[in-house]
Amino acid sequence: MRHSPFRAGLRSAVCAAVLSFGWAPASSAWADDLFDSGKLLATGGVSQIEGAGGGGLVPWALITGYGTDNGIGVNAHYTYDQLSDFSLNTGGVAIGLFDRVELSYARQAFNTQDAGAALGLGEGYTFHQDILGAKVKVIGDAVYDQDRWWPQVSVGAQYKSNDRHDLVKALGATDDWGVDFYVAASKLYLAQSLLLNATVRATKANQYGILGFGGDKNDDYRPEFEGSAAYLLSRQVALGVEYRMKPDNLSFAKEDDAGDVFVAYFLNKNVSLTAAYTMLGDIATFKDQNGFYLSLQAGF
Amino acid sequence: MHRISSFTRLRGMRSACVGLLVAGFLAVASSHAAKADDDSLYRALGEKDGIAKIVSISVDKWLVDERIKDDVDNINLDRFRSRLTDQFCEITGGPCHYPGRDMYAAHKGLHLNTAKFNALTEDLYDAMDEVGVPFDVQNRLVALLAAMQRDVVTQ
Amino acid sequence: MTRRSTRFLARFWREGLVAGAVFATVLTGSLAMAKSFHDVSQKGRAFNMKTLAVEKGDTVRFNNDDEFIHQIFIESKAFNFDSAESNPGDVIPVEFTTAGVYEVHCHIHPKMLLTVTVN
Repeated sequence: MRHSPFRAGLRSAVCAAVLSFGWAPASSAWADDLFDSGKLLATGGVSQIEGAGGGGLVPWALITGYGTDNGIGVNAHYTYDQLSDFSLNTGGVAIGLFDRVELSYARQAFNTQDAGAALGLGEGYTFHQDILGAKVKVIGDAVYDQDRWWPQVSVGAQYKSNDRHDLVKALGATDDWGVDFYVAASKLYLAQSLLLNATVRATKANQYGILGFGGDKNDDYRPEFEGSAAYLLSRQVALGVEYRMKPDNLSFAKEDDAGDVFVAYFLNKNVSLTAAYTMLGDIATFKDQNGFYLSLQAGF
Repeated sequence: MHRISSFTRLRGMRSACVGLLVAGFLAVASSHAAKADDDSLYRALGEKDGIAKIVSISVDKWLVDERIKDDVDNINLDRFRSRLTDQFCEITGGPCHYPGRDMYAAHKGLHLNTAKFNALTEDLYDAMDEVGVPFDVQNRLVALLAAMQRDVVTQ
Repeated sequence: MTRRSTRFLARFWREGLVAGAVFATVLTGSLAMAKSFHDVSQKGRAFNMKTLAVEKGDTVRFNNDDEFIHQIFIESKAFNFDSAESNPGDVIPVEFTTAGVYEVHCHIHPKMLLTVTVN
């Protein structure tokens, strides 16, 4: 598992990328130390829909990847969420540096499928969004601070840019790009096999940014609460539930809070699979957008 | 003027109180291993014999684990197993006393890092799997040991 | 000077010289018979030497220059020794009063070995 060819291949790719920046490792022992895959299984979380490390919907305070405080972890993920009338899929990459800093990039595709025709956009009309994320752990350690009351706290930001500039403006959005800011607090209550997370996000994004940012109903940053709870069934399986409050900035379509129930399966430190049932509420006048979500994360 | 100055004084006092509270919590947090309030975990692990078995299997795993076997080289294994058993027995509420040194002094010469600490932990989990300890009980033991990371990891 | 004082002075010098000579002899004799101290360092969970030759009556000082606790034990027909555990910075002195070859071990670190030859 530690020396799997998959991991070696990915590691070589990252080494090549790193070398191109002028870092010359003295030996492969250097790489073994740096890409140490030293974190305990599942303690990097999975990838949430905007590409940050966390649950399925909510970014957590955990730093993605299996690099310990002396190392670096990298992963890529792909998520497919088939809702009642739309589909949302996200692909992205993320890197965790020294269990302190997380950087991520994700590209979302929101496909209106048949509803696109009803909306006058055309069947299969798709919105794309690029999301650049950064997260910094500020205090605490979710795993080791079992004898302390305070959680691991991280602050993060997600810069989002939507490619349907004219359309989102026509729908009432103020901008086609925006930045979300959040503070996340995560704590693993190991004696209870329970992980809890609370996130507060300042956002103007309409439906995560898919329908632009700010709107005719409200154009101010609003703090939105997001929470997750996950129960560890085994070292490899976690069952969880999430809730995410949302702004409601556009007058043309009501926006609801979102939630999901999920099961995350960590095959090993290279692969995890998350299946969820997501309830994303009303989207663009189409009611009760619920559906199955599947996400694959691969890395080290 | 008068209103502004009493407002800032109130904010100042609130910040000072928060500061004192945080400092108080920080002061209370100790670097010793946490201890169980009763002996339920000790009994759930199979008491002294059960713990000795878990320790023995863990040590056997550490001896062949590429990540840490060099760190457990050249130590008196009987003494090591006996000390660990006493320590686990004591912290889980059992009738034992761990006579050894504090975690920092005992480990600082090994220059352990987080990856090695986690390797020790993973092997302990594997040992408990082999013995058939339920996962939630496994987590209760590791929860008592987790805080030691602060003292055991010096690298 | 009076004759009495001259006689006193002469006696003083004579007896002083004799005392000095006796003292010098005794001193030289004890120096010749003095025991030596030898220092051995415990570091990196090892002794800093594999073998050591000493004279009967010498003392070997085991200095814990390590970051770990150590201990000294010797098991043989002629000589047995078992120390308490020594913390970093402690010194265990061991006097070798019987000729022979002895293996010095640490009961905490089984790979530590020093062979002491006592002449």
